[in-house]
Amino acid sequence: MFFRFFSYSLKQLVRMRWLVGWNFLFPLVLASAFYLGFGNMIKDDPNRLDTIEVAYVAGDGINSNFLSVINELSKETEDHNKILDITSFDSLDEAKDALNKNNIDGIYYQHDDTIEVIVSENGLNSTSLSQIVKSYQNYQASFEKILSEKPEEINTLMANMESNQSFIKKHDFNTGVSQYMQFFYALLAMSSLFGSWISTAIMTNLCANLSESGKRFEIAPGHKLKAIFAGILAGTILQALSNAVVICYVEYVLGLHWGAPICMVIAITILASALGISVGTLIGSIFKNQLALSMVPLAFTMTCSFFSGLMMGGIQQIIQNFCPLLNKINPATVFTDSLYQLACYGKTSAYYEDLCIMVLMIGLCLAISVLILRRRNYDSI
Amino acid sequence: MNESIVKVNNLVKRYKEKIAVDNFSFELKQGEILGLLGPNGSGKTTTINCILSLLSFDKGEIIIFDKAMSPKAYDIKSKIGVVPQNVAVMDTLNVYENVDFFCGLYIKEKQKRRQYVEEALEFTGLSDYKKYKPKKLSGGLLRRLNIACGIAHKPSLIIFDEPTVAVDPQSRNAILEGIKEMNRAGASIIYTSHYMEEVEEICSRILIMDHGKKVAEGSATDLKNSLKIRERICIGMPAINDDIIKDIKAINHVYDAKFDGKELIISLDGGEHNLVHILEYFSEKNIPFGHITTKLPTLNDVFLEITGKELRD
Repeated sequence: MFFRFFSYSLKQLVRMRWLVGWNFLFPLVLASAFYLGFGNMIKDDPNRLDTIEVAYVAGDGINSNFLSVINELSKETEDHNKILDITSFDSLDEAKDALNKNNIDGIYYQHDDTIEVIVSENGLNSTSLSQIVKSYQNYQASFEKILSEKPEEINTLMANMESNQSFIKKHDFNTGVSQYMQFFYALLAMSSLFGSWISTAIMTNLCANLSESGKRFEIAPGHKLKAIFAGILAGTILQALSNAVVICYVEYVLGLHWGAPICMVIAITILASALGISVGTLIGSIFKNQLALSMVPLAFTMTCSFFSGLMMGGIQQIIQNFCPLLNKINPATVFTDSLYQLACYGKTSAYYEDLCIMVLMIGLCLAISVLILRRRNYDSI
Repeated sequence: MNESIVKVNNLVKRYKEKIAVDNFSFELKQGEILGLLGPNGSGKTTTINCILSLLSFDKGEIIIFDKAMSPKAYDIKSKIGVVPQNVAVMDTLNVYENVDFFCGLYIKEKQKRRQYVEEALEFTGLSDYKKYKPKKLSGGLLRRLNIACGIAHKPSLIIFDEPTVAVDPQSRNAILEGIKEMNRAGASIIYTSHYMEEVEEICSRILIMDHGKKVAEGSATDLKNSLKIRERICIGMPAINDDIIKDIKAINHVYDAKFDGKELIISLDGGEHNLVHILEYFSEKNIPFGHITTKLPTLNDVFLEITGKELRD
């Protein structure tokens, strides 16, 4: 009987044209739009630093120490990167002219024993240029202090500098995931929550207070919950298939990497699909009105997706600052976070925590639905 | 014929303050076609929904096949077929799949189910439309599909809730003939309608409802025989004076006579050859007249006499 309900549910769902449109085509269209919007930015290596074009202008005599530092930084490293590319100018005006024409990113202007950093705009390059000066000045101050107070320790300082000790250990997560992939994670979350429509459609067919066919079904000796769970399984499979299509489309057609093995991304979205379907089952068991059964899943999906960052990249962080609980109860955020954790840090405790929250949400939605839907008669239909 | 199939005792159903079914009782016996007749809103469908355990009720008792009906009474439900008032089919499934899906809720065995589905399609004349989706069917065919879904599992109790609403006369006749055939095959039937002609045609016993209450019960003949007015004669004429009306009222078995501006309407409470006596009087007085029609009482007249309003009001 379960298999019969399952096969008929599957048959009915695949014949619903709106479902094919919203659950299969719409996410693909949105993924393409995202790709057109910031696909190139995602494809760029997020760890790669561009060489900074900088001018050095000595206003009142060359500071040979600083010049040797920046010359060192302009040498090519083993991985063929160089931090600075230095151009010398005779006057500050010439350098500023080059800066205005965007030929260079900044100017080191040395005058009155100070090194001034001149940039045309703030950003990563200006920060890097300033940081180089600050580091140089820190070392310089350390040397001067030790020379004046404990000159005997100067050799120790030199030795430490040469050994280049670091207390920070570099860990390479080997993912190279762009921050813009968050939008695609949120897109998958939205697509999964669209599954709530699938389950409200299933519920409509099986509940006497929602449709005529539901009346006929409840008059019959069939087990209602068995039929609903068969429908939920069919819906989850269909939604997971829809998500798998989106995942493959993004990975293989658009050429953007999810940051984790594709089979693992698909596996998590199966859980997210089940979550979307469970939410829909709960909505279907609470609401009686056909309009509400269409609008509530849509409103719920779009609200959750908005707060998970589908339309505004930094919203998750804002919520995390002001109301972190909202991020923990928003199924779209929990799902996007699980994917982000997996993609950026691997299977950490935060990742498993997200999976557990999703499983709990599924269990809670279904448990409440079962309590509401147990075989009963109605006060009015 | 004596075995009780459905027994409803003192059923009361309220929607907040409104009483939809008010101390309603009846019994359906084996092999009967019981007609529930009443105007829209009289409580027929509510009664049916209570019988089927779709609706909860405030008071009363419903016994079907000698067992109390409940939402989990699967053994009782497996013997009931329902043809609801509104077409209750799945839009995404074709004709065959619809009948198979609903039949499958009752019949687990695949071979048997296949045979039953084919027989139901044959019975309702839908064999040529197996692959059609409901949206492609005409109103009449859709009603037939509604019936096929309700009767495919060969139930011994079938409840038809206004199955002919918005159906063309040809399809209506086919549906009524089908119901009679199912009854001949052994099914006991409850048939609700507000079309008195249908009820009169197929039901062995009729129960008239109004405002959730039973107002009359019996066979069509018994109900009509219980009326004071047994015949009505209408005679078309341009004008008439009061003396003539007075004379007509004096004729044997004439209960009432009145002129509505176009016709003289004479109500009679029995007797034979009444028209002959009236025509003899007209001839004797040389009174000119146009058309003459005679009408025997209908169930509408029964309803009118009991409730003071038309059945179709």
